[in-house]
Amino acid sequence: MLVLTRKAGEGIFIGDDVTIKIIEMKGGAVRIGIDAPKGKKIYRQEVYDRITEENIMATQWDMDVLDSLSTNLSTGKKDK
Amino acid sequence: MKTIQTRFGEVEYNPDNLLHFPAGMIGFPTLHDFIVMPNKKKGPLFWIQSIDDPAVAFVLTDPSNFFLDYKVTAEESEKNSLQITDDDECFVLSVVTVPQDQKITLNLAAPILFSPKTNRAIQVILENSNYKSKTPLPA
Repeated sequence: MLVLTRKAGEGIFIGDDVTIKIIEMKGGAVRIGIDAPKGKKIYRQEVYDRITEENIMATQWDMDVLDSLSTNLSTGKKDK
Repeated sequence: MKTIQTRFGEVEYNPDNLLHFPAGMIGFPTLHDFIVMPNKKKGPLFWIQSIDDPAVAFVLTDPSNFFLDYKVTAEESEKNSLQITDDDECFVLSVVTVPQDQKITLNLAAPILFSPKTNRAIQVILENSNYKSKTPLPA
């Protein structure tokens, strides 16, 4: 991993379309400004990790559980 | 037609009729193509099987079956990924987590946007919303 030291107000260029700027440091947290093309996906890491974990969990299922579930769901339960 | 071995046995599919995820599912960036499996049973749930990894299959549903006011609109960049324009339809699907106790949850925080026209799909994260990745069905 590339490690750089930056001060508030300083920035980093990544490629020719992403700029990261250190806005301020306060109470152990760092505020960061990011300029990137509109379509570029930017996520907080813990949010991305949570979705990854949920997707992994969602691959662990059994066909017989799905079958009996589908039977229960199609017997009008969802009309409630 | 082609066949693959999956953890559910042999599955036959038409390679011209796959659901294509240009960026994969989140956490599965290399799995681009899925078979949409026809429902054996009636009901709102169906599943998709990766053709790249036989162990990976997701249960999906149309979330409006359960959450009437759940709305997600595709952003411009997302429409580009789906290769559709403003006039084309874009459907929303949710990944369903199916535990052994059958208490299923929907991942409303990371819906799948799907274009029936291009057969492309992307999973997006609704970061600035209150939707949960583990949303139980309404009681």
